[in-house]
Amino acid sequence: MKAEQASIIKLPSTVLGMDVSADASSLYAACMDGGVYQVEVKSGQASKLYRHSSFASGACAVPGSPTIISAGYDGTLVWYDLGENKEIRRVAAHEFWSWQSDVSRDGKYFASVTGQYLAGGPKYEPAPETEPSVKVFDAGTGKLVHAFSHVPSVQAVAFSPDGKYVAAGNLMGETRVWDLSTGKQLAACKTTSLTSWGIIKVHAYQGGVYSLAFSPDSQSIIVCGMGQMRDPNTGNGRQTWQRFAWRKEGSPRTAEIHAGDAGGGHPEAIAFHPSGKYFVMAGRLAQGKWNTGFFDEPGGDLIHSLDTKARLTRIRFNPDGSRMFLAGGVAQPKAKDGNYPDFGRILVYDIA
Amino acid sequence: MFLKGLAAAGAVSVASWAGLFSVPAFAQQAKKEQKHCILLWLTGAPSQFETWDPKPGTLSGGPFKAIGTNVPGVQISSLMPRCATIMDKLCVIRSMSTKPSEHFQGINLLNRGAEPRQPFVRPVLGSVLAQQLGHLDSPIPNFILLDPCPEGNEFREFKAGNMAGWLGAQYGPVRAGGTYGIPDIRRQADLTTTDQQDREALRKFLVRKYENDHQSAAANSQNAAFERVKGLMSCASLFDLNRLSEADKARYGPGTFGIHSLLARNLVENGAPFVMVANGMPWDCHILNHETHQMLVPELDRVIYHLVNDLEDRGLLEKTLVIAMGEFGRSPNLNASHGRDHYPTAWSLAMAGCGLKRGVVVGATDPQGYAPIEKPFNEKNLFATIFKALGIDPYAEYDLPNMPTFHRVEENSPAIAEILA
Repeated sequence: MKAEQASIIKLPSTVLGMDVSADASSLYAACMDGGVYQVEVKSGQASKLYRHSSFASGACAVPGSPTIISAGYDGTLVWYDLGENKEIRRVAAHEFWSWQSDVSRDGKYFASVTGQYLAGGPKYEPAPETEPSVKVFDAGTGKLVHAFSHVPSVQAVAFSPDGKYVAAGNLMGETRVWDLSTGKQLAACKTTSLTSWGIIKVHAYQGGVYSLAFSPDSQSIIVCGMGQMRDPNTGNGRQTWQRFAWRKEGSPRTAEIHAGDAGGGHPEAIAFHPSGKYFVMAGRLAQGKWNTGFFDEPGGDLIHSLDTKARLTRIRFNPDGSRMFLAGGVAQPKAKDGNYPDFGRILVYDIA
Repeated sequence: MFLKGLAAAGAVSVASWAGLFSVPAFAQQAKKEQKHCILLWLTGAPSQFETWDPKPGTLSGGPFKAIGTNVPGVQISSLMPRCATIMDKLCVIRSMSTKPSEHFQGINLLNRGAEPRQPFVRPVLGSVLAQQLGHLDSPIPNFILLDPCPEGNEFREFKAGNMAGWLGAQYGPVRAGGTYGIPDIRRQADLTTTDQQDREALRKFLVRKYENDHQSAAANSQNAAFERVKGLMSCASLFDLNRLSEADKARYGPGTFGIHSLLARNLVENGAPFVMVANGMPWDCHILNHETHQMLVPELDRVIYHLVNDLEDRGLLEKTLVIAMGEFGRSPNLNASHGRDHYPTAWSLAMAGCGLKRGVVVGATDPQGYAPIEKPFNEKNLFATIFKALGIDPYAEYDLPNMPTFHRVEENSPAIAEILA
């Protein structure tokens, strides 16, 4: 396969969430400056639609609707009508951040996850949640459909391709799966591989599941994050993905990144290519050769890789899979005359 | 936990300050005059943006909001709602500006109060206060370092170094806390008290003789260490975390930093002049700064709130100086890992008690937090302020035969007058 960079789009600040329009002509970017931007892919022109009062963390285009839904570290969700160019509603969803959000492929549901990590024990075990950590809304009306319980902080969420399930992963490496029709929890996939208890500098937990994706057949879940470190503040844990057969008894782990493939760094995004033939994991590189890895499905072999020299937070493809969009940013440069040079990035790749 | 169960094992234990002194009248007088200092040492360097100097609405400000406090016009990070309610008891310096940008140098500078001048080793604040505020016949150590996390990269190097410097080993710290224990502190079960005393007398005689014959600093240090162990054996119960009340632990905890801050309060209540509480090097957030500060700052907020209120309730705040600081601040700009890097140019710290003015914020930084825009203060200004608050002459000359002239604070650097009452 080939992945050639077609363009680099710059935005004022790091992009934390992104989605692509149905015709792939526009991108919607949620940025650290609180802004939610519409970006024309062809020209690279970005225009701010509105803003959250803290970091904007997610932007999802609702399939079959002229609506985007964004989420932010202010705990609010915003419905925005692109046709009318106006905000439809603003919902106070959480008391803390919306870490991540997702919309189901049938356009019915929107999910957002939250949770502040507070010390709950002498070893800084996470304290129990003070509000439901996983909320699922009707993407059309904004009505709350489900409020699920988890252990904070819950940092990743994804719907299954068939629209029947939602999964959410947390700091402690536990991914819970719920049935959207019944509201019942169906599985808990657990790993200790992605969470560090800092021995060197900090006696506390860091890391966890930072992104997850259902396989195209919805039968397995792949989670990603940073492998264990004695000093989590170095951020050089092993780039890791793990696969779980969540429908089987005990939700066993069935595969993980091959030993020789990984360097060190923090994967924050994972997504399947529309063909279902491979998946991509991306993030920040600390040590090694790549920050964007392409892995064949179902073997999990590393078949291609890129070092984009940027922190990456979200991966999206156009519908036919010929284009890949990687969102993120570079280090924040020093302000000049009170203004910061752009440090948000969306990298556009042609895939063949 | 360190010293756990020691009292129950048969060592002499004490339950009160008076019990530590052979002459009760002296105990009362000492208690009345005693000044104390608790240093909440935030190793790794906390972010001023997520604590005392928020910059909401700017790209350097991060995701947390600023909230009002009970001092009109003063805002702090929304991660510190409890401190916002006692801002009228605190004083904050927002324009600390120092030079070293690496941990080891910064930790040394902010603990010793001056740049190094090889080969001479300036004592750390705890050692100076142990000498100035301590009582030689108090078995409670004059310099206690509570550190539940014994590691900490450069902080570990600092802890392993010569803290007492030219003051000598008797003013070095007793380190305790968490799983960091001191082995072999219990009297052997088959050893009677009389036998132990005889052995100690013989050991002391031989070491003293060796010290005199050979001018040995090592022998002197050994004697100091033995004296300290004897004191520890007699006040072991004061270090027993299991003796802390569950209600207090619930307020300060559940994290070990909070629990050890509570222990510091108890030790001060029982006469300890200086207690330093650290917890490894957790604040060094080069990656995911905000994700880490979301947990660390609420704990700090809780600790400062309860510590200051408890000391005040016990009539101790006016003679106890509480300091919360690290070795520098963190950068206004986020790096590519969403972390904040080291930043000594403009950072913040907080103090309370010991007669300092209340509800005062000194200094300010520019809108993005790059630099002080008024009243920058360095380590010498800070140490002069600390010494003055504790009734110690900041500019006194050390009596150091065959050494250059050193002062507690060099260059006659002024104290921060705005916070001294």
